[in-house]
Amino acid sequence: MPPAFQTDTDCVVDRATHTIRLIRDLDAPPALVFEAWTKPEHISVWWDATGAPLESCEMDVRRGGSFTFVSSSNPDHIFAGTYIEVAPPHRLVFDANGAEGRLILDAKGEGTRMTVEIDCRTSEMLDHYLEVGVTAGTSQTLANLAAFLDEQTVSTG
Amino acid sequence: MDIQSAQPDRLNAVFSAMSDPTRRAILGRLARSEATVSELMAPFAISQPAISKHLKVLERAGLIEGGRDAQRRPRRLCAQAMKEAADWIEPFRRQWEARFDNLANHLATIQSEEK
Repeated sequence: MPPAFQTDTDCVVDRATHTIRLIRDLDAPPALVFEAWTKPEHISVWWDATGAPLESCEMDVRRGGSFTFVSSSNPDHIFAGTYIEVAPPHRLVFDANGAEGRLILDAKGEGTRMTVEIDCRTSEMLDHYLEVGVTAGTSQTLANLAAFLDEQTVSTG
Repeated sequence: MDIQSAQPDRLNAVFSAMSDPTRRAILGRLARSEATVSELMAPFAISQPAISKHLKVLERAGLIEGGRDAQRRPRRLCAQAMKEAADWIEPFRRQWEARFDNLANHLATIQSEEK
């Protein structure tokens, strides 16, 4: 990949499937990575990008169970949704504010190739994010696209 | 052209062009140096018409240039279009990378505690 994309996390926007895909290789087996995604004592530690522990974290990890993460750095932003598929140690699918999140964990050597897909459900919705993102103009506005996606899906759906 | 004036349609074309692994590999090759069609073909087990199709998609998205003299002219990366795409996606990618860095550190901590 070109230098600008040469990082530990690969990020691809796939317009055909209206999906944003993030790929990261980790030095831990899929079972442990799955546990880190599905136990509150773990996810509280790492979920917030700022590194601050979550203010609260409730999760009922089974099909149809719900989850609510509240970050201490931004308590107004609540990440909440429902688990659609819980298949340890390779697959976790959830619905969060109208978008579908898919965690796919594949063994790779001693470690794991972790793929996170954010499916915006329609290409119109993804287009809308692209369009608003561009007209908004600054990187700052785009700095929290995830929060933005949540707000959009709440107000439109 | 800066990101403010970039056309949404064009960015869509850029992301669509970059969603294919072969095309990303071609961009990766061109990031090192310009290359002719036959040089670009070498690492892939695909036909010349197939690679030409990929190059056309990349050209239309403004990601590469050159090659008006069909086969011989080397293709080059258009750094500006790549930068626009990177500027757009970079803050989002960086946020997730920070989150994944936290996860990687946490996994290392758990594993060292288990030993």
